[in-house]
Amino acid sequence: MRRVTAGATWLARIRALDLPERLRIMNVCGGHERSIAQAGLRTVLPEEIELIPGPGCPVCVCPEEAIYHAIHLSLDEGVILVAFGDMLRVPVNVAKGEVRSLEEARGLGGDVRPIASPTEARVIAAAEPERTVVFFAAGFETTTAPVAALVAEGLPKNLLLLTACRRTWPAVALLLESGEAGFDGLVAPGHVATVMGPEEWSFVAERFCIPVAVAGFTPESLLAAFASVVRQHLDGHPHLTNCYPEVVRPGGNRAAQQMLAATFDVVDAPWRGIGTLPASGYRLKGRYADHDAALRFPAATEQARARAGAMPAGCGCAEVVLGRLTPTACALYGHPCTPRAPVGPCMVSDEGACRIWWSSGKRG
Amino acid sequence: MCLAIPMRIEAVDGFNARCAAKGVERDVSLFLLQDEGVAVGDYVMVHVGYAIQRVARADAEASWALFDEILATEPPPDGGGG
Repeated sequence: MRRVTAGATWLARIRALDLPERLRIMNVCGGHERSIAQAGLRTVLPEEIELIPGPGCPVCVCPEEAIYHAIHLSLDEGVILVAFGDMLRVPVNVAKGEVRSLEEARGLGGDVRPIASPTEARVIAAAEPERTVVFFAAGFETTTAPVAALVAEGLPKNLLLLTACRRTWPAVALLLESGEAGFDGLVAPGHVATVMGPEEWSFVAERFCIPVAVAGFTPESLLAAFASVVRQHLDGHPHLTNCYPEVVRPGGNRAAQQMLAATFDVVDAPWRGIGTLPASGYRLKGRYADHDAALRFPAATEQARARAGAMPAGCGCAEVVLGRLTPTACALYGHPCTPRAPVGPCMVSDEGACRIWWSSGKRG
Repeated sequence: MCLAIPMRIEAVDGFNARCAAKGVERDVSLFLLQDEGVAVGDYVMVHVGYAIQRVARADAEASWALFDEILATEPPPDGGGG
């Protein structure tokens, strides 16, 4: 019961502070949003504190053209397409009768297989040496590091990558630079910081004077981070704090960072509905061209490129991702967009704010 | 997807480890912790089949207790709606 008590203690400390009229704290991790929803932290915090889900879902920011690309590699090129399970149900906005998702592609005979780890891609490639396996990998830094490890360990000849890997902090920088950040404090993502180091987030305080704290995934750690952010705000001295020191070490995981740097170039990259963000994506280095599905299947790549920027009409996912629209404020939330019949990725992914809010019982 | 779970290393073979958490065993790659000298009996945070950081036993056990709590309150996958 240590954690429950400690959580209550943090809550009491927050309540004892002389709170401003309104303080908006953004998180940028689906895991944080899930913990907040499951623990009911919004209902126990003082009403002055507003918790905003921000860009914390890699599936939600994966551009439609990348999913379209994967669908057509599985259907037109006869490859075995493996992807993290979340990706299979994300719909693309195509005309009626066209294939809308990887799950539909599988129903039509595409060899699409969900995996839970990059290592499974290697196992499948070894078991099917005569066939080409494409690992469609979407993820933030935490997930991209294992993809880099897979590459560093040596890829089998028949294993290719189609990547939609993104860095988290450039989306936060975009919000802050826009002049309408929409938040007064930031809770930084614990497992991204585990890999990349907490220092990556100090710019929020140093360049933009916004309080920032790295948090873990227990209610206790999140409440400690909220308390830190509120106190920084009240003191007028924003600085990065680490409320997840049991896992997040100074400098992060340097071996993982070295593998990322050896495997990928950091490039400008498109985010679904948001546009191209500078230095926000990872692209496989030229030395791995033989394993780059985008280069190996140029026709599918061209076809996908023609669809750049496509989105279903009325889909609010991009605004939800940026924290400018709460899930329940989206016109499609619940009607017609639900986890059973999703319109956009935020209602599909376990890390999507809409899916999390729906699962916690919010019905608009 | 950035979910990570603490696991105990039960056996090591090169960069591959057999890890356990609450009676569930999984193969885990230690490739991202190759400079850390992790060994049998150590606890690591595991994300998509890769250990990404060491963690102390007490913190691992506290996380498991929390997961129990979460699983006890988890609604069915589609939230029962439609």
